[in-house]
This record gives sequence, structure tokens and C-alpha cells, in this order.
Amino acid sequence: MTTRAWPALPALILLLVFFLFPVVRMLGFSLEGGTFDWYAKALGEGLYLRVFWNTFEIALLVTVFCLLLGYPLGFLMATTTPGWATLGFIFVLLPLWTSVLVRTYAWMVLLGRNGVFNRLLMEAGLTTDPIPLLHNFTGVLIGMVHVLLPYMVLPIYGAVRRIDPAIPAAAAGLGASGGRIFWRIYLPLTLNGIFAGSVLVFVLSLGFFITPALLGGGRVMMIAVLIEQQVREALNWPFAAALSAVLLVATFAIYALAQRFSQPETTR
Amino acid sequence: MDIQRPHRRRVLSLLGGAAAVGVSGRAFAQTDSSRAEPPKPAQIVVNHSGGSMGSAMRKAFFNGFEKKYGIRVVETSPVDFGKLRAMVDSGNVEWDLTEIGGQDAIRASKMNLLDKIDPKVVDRSKYPPTAQNPHVFASSVYTTIIGYRTDVFKGGTHPKSWADWWDVKKFPGARSMRNHPTDNLEFALIADGVPKDKVYPIDFDRAFKKLDQVKPHVTAWWSTGQQPAQLLLDKEVVLATGWNGRFYDVIKKGGPIEIEWNEGALKQGSFAIPRGAKNPYWANKMLAELAIPQQQAVYASELGYPGLNLESLNFVDAKVKPYLPTAYLDKQFWISDEWYAENGTKAAELWNAWMLKKA
Amino acid sequence: MRTGKGSGEGSAELLIEGVAKRFGEVAALDHVSLSVAQGELLTILGPSGSGKTTLLKVVAGFETPDAGRVLVGGADITALLPARRDIGMVFQNYALFPHLSVKANVAFPLEMRNIARAEIDRRVGEALAMVELAGYEARLPKQLSGGQQQRVALARAIVFNPRLLLLDEPFGALDRKLRETMQLEVRRLQRRLGLTTIFITHDQEEALVLSDRIAVMNKGTIQQIATTTEIYERPANDFVADFVGESNILHGTVSAPGLVALPDGRKLMVDSEAAPGAKVGLLMRPERFSGGGLNEFSGEIVEAVYLGTSFKLRIACEGGPELLVRQPARGTLPAAGTKITVGIDPEAIHVF
Repeated sequence: MTTRAWPALPALILLLVFFLFPVVRMLGFSLEGGTFDWYAKALGEGLYLRVFWNTFEIALLVTVFCLLLGYPLGFLMATTTPGWATLGFIFVLLPLWTSVLVRTYAWMVLLGRNGVFNRLLMEAGLTTDPIPLLHNFTGVLIGMVHVLLPYMVLPIYGAVRRIDPAIPAAAAGLGASGGRIFWRIYLPLTLNGIFAGSVLVFVLSLGFFITPALLGGGRVMMIAVLIEQQVREALNWPFAAALSAVLLVATFAIYALAQRFSQPETTR
Repeated sequence: MDIQRPHRRRVLSLLGGAAAVGVSGRAFAQTDSSRAEPPKPAQIVVNHSGGSMGSAMRKAFFNGFEKKYGIRVVETSPVDFGKLRAMVDSGNVEWDLTEIGGQDAIRASKMNLLDKIDPKVVDRSKYPPTAQNPHVFASSVYTTIIGYRTDVFKGGTHPKSWADWWDVKKFPGARSMRNHPTDNLEFALIADGVPKDKVYPIDFDRAFKKLDQVKPHVTAWWSTGQQPAQLLLDKEVVLATGWNGRFYDVIKKGGPIEIEWNEGALKQGSFAIPRGAKNPYWANKMLAELAIPQQQAVYASELGYPGLNLESLNFVDAKVKPYLPTAYLDKQFWISDEWYAENGTKAAELWNAWMLKKA
Repeated sequence: MRTGKGSGEGSAELLIEGVAKRFGEVAALDHVSLSVAQGELLTILGPSGSGKTTLLKVVAGFETPDAGRVLVGGADITALLPARRDIGMVFQNYALFPHLSVKANVAFPLEMRNIARAEIDRRVGEALAMVELAGYEARLPKQLSGGQQQRVALARAIVFNPRLLLLDEPFGALDRKLRETMQLEVRRLQRRLGLTTIFITHDQEEALVLSDRIAVMNKGTIQQIATTTEIYERPANDFVADFVGESNILHGTVSAPGLVALPDGRKLMVDSEAAPGAKVGLLMRPERFSGGGLNEFSGEIVEAVYLGTSFKLRIACEGGPELLVRQPARGTLPAAGTKITVGIDPEAIHVF
């Protein structure tokens, strides 16, 4: 280790003790008895494959929606006046400062059969029966996108901020319309932020479980719920470890794949 | 935070305890003040699931204990079986007394993680024979029953059995049930005609087939204790299964909810002394405190979860009594923790697979 | 404000009329008017905060003026979006698109104009050849040196035959030697293409080297607009005199025709028709002093600096002003404390 790396030592030790060691320990658990039986179960049974697939599907959708909502938001915050930007930050970060239960119940009040949205829709005559927004996939999606949005907005905000304002101005001066400035200049120069935000949101989505349990009405099953069941209820730690290891490997694989296909660009 | 609570409260049906009753009952007669008491520690640690339960315990039991013995009661939470096991294995036991779930209590006894309860200190003579397990103290009873909206089902028109619950033509409306095999498998079998004392061992095929019928009518599968009452209050559903205390809490405040006790699924809340606890004698003394009927009445009036000292019903306000499951023991049945200790994993897997099934 | 000769109002390609812009309490532009002739290179020279960049932004369309008009070739473009103005601009840090190759950077304005691919390739090739960057097409901007980046920026700004070329302090980031080469190259290219050009700088030396005419700006107004020699030899006021080149500025009162009395009682002969009693400013360029002349100053050298081709001397005159004097470097550098007498002829003193 070079002398310059010394200041990073505490962080490295922390990672080693609190991250690497437990992960290795977990892998050890999953191979208890020297067999791959638990992996065979995790990858061989329809139930677990289905739930893995569900989990990745949800994570992907949450990521897409976070991107669709988060890009314009991060972009506006990066290009507006400091006053508006601060206000934007407060609203974006608010869900992070709120307890998961408060947040979830707030959505229940808004999305329920007799919730605010449905009452407005019915009073406006747009629908006669309440639309099911809660206790299903839609509810989970809304709740998760809400919580994870900051993780998308902040990297995109940062990426837009890093662009020298002269660059879009130059493009405009050279004859580019607003749309072309976006597609040819902003979008390629913020790919870094999009990638970072998407990976964060995707990976965090994989571990969700309170939100799907409450807003999904039990219908939306994610792998974290099954792992938790194995740890706390079934006390089958080897199997829980095998499920976790599969999730970990799959996550790394997706990350590697995503990195291959994005071409991160450095801006000055 | 509350998500794991359900499993912790599961109950013992404790068939084996019966034999021990006579013995422990008589042993208590010669309880003594002559025996030398171990020195008093500054504090003992009681681990429980926290929340409103913690504050009710402090009011009903801990304050009195502190006054009586001058020993401070330190409370910790949550209840965690893995942690208990790790503590006992490593010999560093922080808890003198801990709440423990039904299946976990059985497993813990088998794994030799618990101290025996001292019958000379803890008087369980007024407890039903099923609640006399030598290692496990039954602290309270709760039950999963039907809660319904009184403005939808007026004047006794609500479902009064699981067969009624399944009858969606006669009792239309959205329902909510727990996202867990326990309770639901039993309810399905009872609805399908199995007598309530013959549900074990559970016939999975028959139970799930019956559950298939009700599945489209269940709008929300709940996973935390406060959900059912909330779902009823929000009119998300008109019928919900739930724990009696949670409904009681809403009823106490005047909410438009009532309880149908028939065919409810009884469970017991338990406490146990970890093997190697630092102050086992004082932990037993605390259990003795938990066994006092007057104090159990205080606790029951607070939460709707009565203790198993059947005398405690005599000390409860007449208005509270109808909301205590111990007043309806005959109409209900006990969930078998022993069956679940054996078959819980299989049940959970089948349940998950069933939940994932489309339509 | 003086308007220099040869401004050619009749053939004005760019006309700025009474343009004003305020930022809160500050008047960045205080009703500025000027015109630039077809093919002329006009430099706007001023310190930072003088309003020169705001003026450039108004011309480019990045700022909307509170009042006034901008006309190019007789057409009012004040309300036009930047993209519609057909103006090529080289930014301070070049503002190259970092994710695009040299070729794609230069092709960008042509693509925005939906020009056919073959035509684009041809014109990009020409532009890159013109700035001597043929062969660098595939490189990314970060793989180029500062000078090369600037050539790309220049090629990108001229490739679409803009009506106007704007240069916003483009040489600031280059080292001295490269800066001089680039200045000459830009000048050559501008002449060859006959591009009407506005060049912004705070460097008076650069302004003198490059410009046909210079507009000196301060505090949102144009102080003087004239040819380079006129600005240097006959500045309109203290600010211009002080900002452009090294100078000695004295103030006095005309006591008789051709005679100015300084506050210390000294009288100087000048070549001026100012009436007696008028308060005037006197500008004496350091290099116009010699060993003797009609007006003599004696004093003691306070500071002497060797500059290669000349000595720069700071002289404290007896009972009078401190003077900056340049003398051809001959012999040894005089030591501080040496007594010296210098002189200047009346026609070398500019009265304003």
C-alpha cells in the first residue's frame, strides 16, 4: 500500500469487518455440509425462480419510472435559480427523512378505494367505481418510485451541473434547437449520471420488502421477503444464505452488463 | 418494524404440561420465605417486542416490581430468536427474561436454550393444564377472529363462522386476511366442514383448494398487526381477520367495528428465561409478578390480551370482559405450535407458491 | 465618444443601436451604439465588469436587451433565437463538445442545418485544412493540446459561413508564444474569408495587434471607438489613456496658448489650441522621452528595470510628479538613486 492510501485505511477496515467478512461468512453458511444442495433448491424450484424473476422485473420497472420522472426533475433543479433548486431538494429528499411506515400510510390515504385520488376521480365523473391503485402492483410501483426517486435525481442533477453552461450555449449558437441540444448534448453528457442513478435505484429495489408487503396487499412477492422468512421464521440460514448469494451474483452480473453497454463520458 | 410480531406471539398448546400440574401445584404450597434469597442486582433486563405492549407491561408489572424489590427493570427489544441462540451459545446472556414466539419456544426447549421455571417462586396453580410447560411461561392470550364494519353488517347480519366468511353471496364485500399460512389453513378446513378440534394434522390440499374459492374476494393480504383495523376504518374492506387487541383498540375509541369470536384461533404469548441468564432467581420473581391476576387484569384492560391466570377475569371491568378472548375459550380453538414447529417451513413454501399462483 | 475614421457607416454589417441591459441595480450596458463594417475586425476592449461580455451575449442572442436593437445586414435580429442568427462564436474555454470527435464537432452546425452528408464531409475537410488540423478528425477534444482545441473551435465557428464571427477572449488560456501564433493565424483567416468579426478582450496589447478598430468599454459605456493608432496616440480620456499602453498622465490649466501650468508650478510647452483657462489632461507615453527636449524633467531614479530592448525607469522629479520613462537599452542599467534629466517635445504630448 502506498502512503497515499493510508487515509483510506479506516474505511477499508470498516468494509472488511462489516461487509466482506459477513459476505464470506454467508457464503460459508450456504455451503454447509459441503454440498450445493441449497443452491440447487434456490435455482431449481419454480417458486424461487418465479420470485427472483418478479424481483428483477419490479426493480427494472421502478428504475425506468424513476428515470422518466427523475431526469426532468434533476435537469430542472440543475438549471433553475438556486431558490427553486433548494425547494426541489427539500421535496426530493423529504421521503428519505420520513419513516417508511408514515410514508406508506400516507400513500394508503391517497390511493385507497376511498382515498383522495379515487374520490377526486369519482367526483369529477371520470370513473364510477374506484380504480384499484392500492394492494396491487401499481401501489408497490408508486410507493417504491417515491422512495427511490432521490437516488435517481441526485446523480442526474450532479451530471447536469458538471456540464459547462457554455457547451449548450455553443450548440444553440451553432443552430441547434432545444430538442437537438437535449439529444445531442445533454443526454450523452449525462449518461454517467443516468447510469449511476439507475444502478443505485435498481440495486436498492432488489432489497425492498416493507413497501411491497404493505402497498402490494401481499400480492407482490420479492426475494427479500422470502430470505427474511428463511432467516427469522424457518431458521434455515444455509438456504437463506444461498438465496442471498444468488441475488448477489445476479446483481453483480446485471451491473457488469449495464456497464458494458453504457459508455460513460467524462466532461470537463 | 411490526412485521415479525405475528410469529412471536404464536402459542403453545402444551399437551405435555398437564402431567406436571398436580406436582407443581402442590409444590407451591410449601413456598417459603425461609430459603435464602440471592443478593439483589441493581437491575434485570427484560426483552420484549416493544411498542404499546411494552408500555402496558411497564404499567401493569414493571413499576410494581421495581417498587417491591428496588431492582430496576431495563427493557430491550425486539424479540429475536437468532440473537437468543447466539447469546446462549456464546455464554454472554444479556437478557434475564425474554418474550418468545410459540414455535420458537418449542424449538428453544428442544435445543436446551431455556432455564426451567422455578415452581417454588412462580405460582401457576390457577393456569389451565395446557399452560404449564416447565420452560415456558404463558403470559397472555390472543386470538385471530373476524372483525367487521357495523355500518355494513347491522343487527347481527355479519358472518358468524368460517363457512359464512367463505359465503360471498350471502356476505358480499371485500375481505382481508393475513399473508401467512397460520390461521388461514385452519379457517379453510373449518369452513370446509372439519370440526375445529380435528384440524391437525392439516390436509394441505384440502385447505388450499378451499382457499382458492375465497382468494378473488380478498383485496388485501395483511402482514402487520395494525393493518386489519386500518383497512376496516378506511373502508378498503368490510371484513378482516385480525388480532383481537387491535380491534379492541379501535372499538375502545368508538370506531365502527365489532368482533365475532366464534371459531377464533387462539395463541399464547410467552416468556422464558435464557439458559445462563445472570439473575435467574429474579427473572422467576418477575414471572411471579406476571402471574398475579390483579396485575394481569390491568394489562388486559389496556390491550385486550388477558393473562392465563383464569382468576384475572374477576378483576376486570364488566365493560372490558366481553372483549377478552378468555371469555370465549369454548367457542375457539388453539393453534398448534407443535404442528407448526414440524411443518412450518413446508406450510410457508406452499403458501408462497399459492400466493404467486395467478387468479 | 469619438468615431474614428474609416468606420464606414454606409457598409455597416452589424449595427448596435442604443442597447441597454440592467442586472438589478447595475447597468451592464448603458445605451451602447456601434457599427462594424463588412469584413472589419472590431475589438471590444475593457476590464472585467465593463459590460463587454454582456454586449457580446446580446449580439449572440444569449441575453435579451432591455432597450435597443441589433441589426445584421440591415435586418433586426434582436428577438431572434441564437440558433437562427447565423453567428459563429468561439468561447473562452472553446466549449467544444467533449463527447464528440473533432470531425463531429466541426460538422455539428452543418448537421443542424440539415446539409447533405457529402457536402458536410467536404466542408468539414476544408475547414480543418484551413486551421491545419487535417488528420485529427477522429480525436476527442481531450486528446488535443490547447492550441489545437482552439483551432477546432475556430473551424466549428466558420464552417457554416456565418454572417458574423464572435471571439470571446479566445487566447486567454494559451501560453504567450502560442497566443501570438494563434493571434496572427486568426487575423490571417479572418482577412482571407472577409469575416465581419467582433473580438472581446481585456488585453490591450492583443487588441492593438489584431484590430482594425478598437472600442474601449468601461462601466457599461463605450469610452472611445477608433483605429488602433488613434486610441494609442490620442486617447479620449484618462480611462482610455491609462488602460491602453503605459502612460504618464498629468493634469493642468492652460495658462497661455501652447503653455500648460501644472499644480507644482512647472510649465509645459504643448502642441494644442486649447484656450487659456481650460483644464486639460496631458498624456506622455514613456517611450517618447529622450535625453533632452523642449520640456525637461530632472530627478532621481527610483526604480530601474531591464527589459531586453529597453530600460524602464521610474523617476521622481524634484518637487513634482513621478514619471515612467523607457529608454533604448544601451550601456549598463543605471542604478537607483542616480540623478537624471529627461526631455519631451511638445508634439509628443497629447492634450485632451
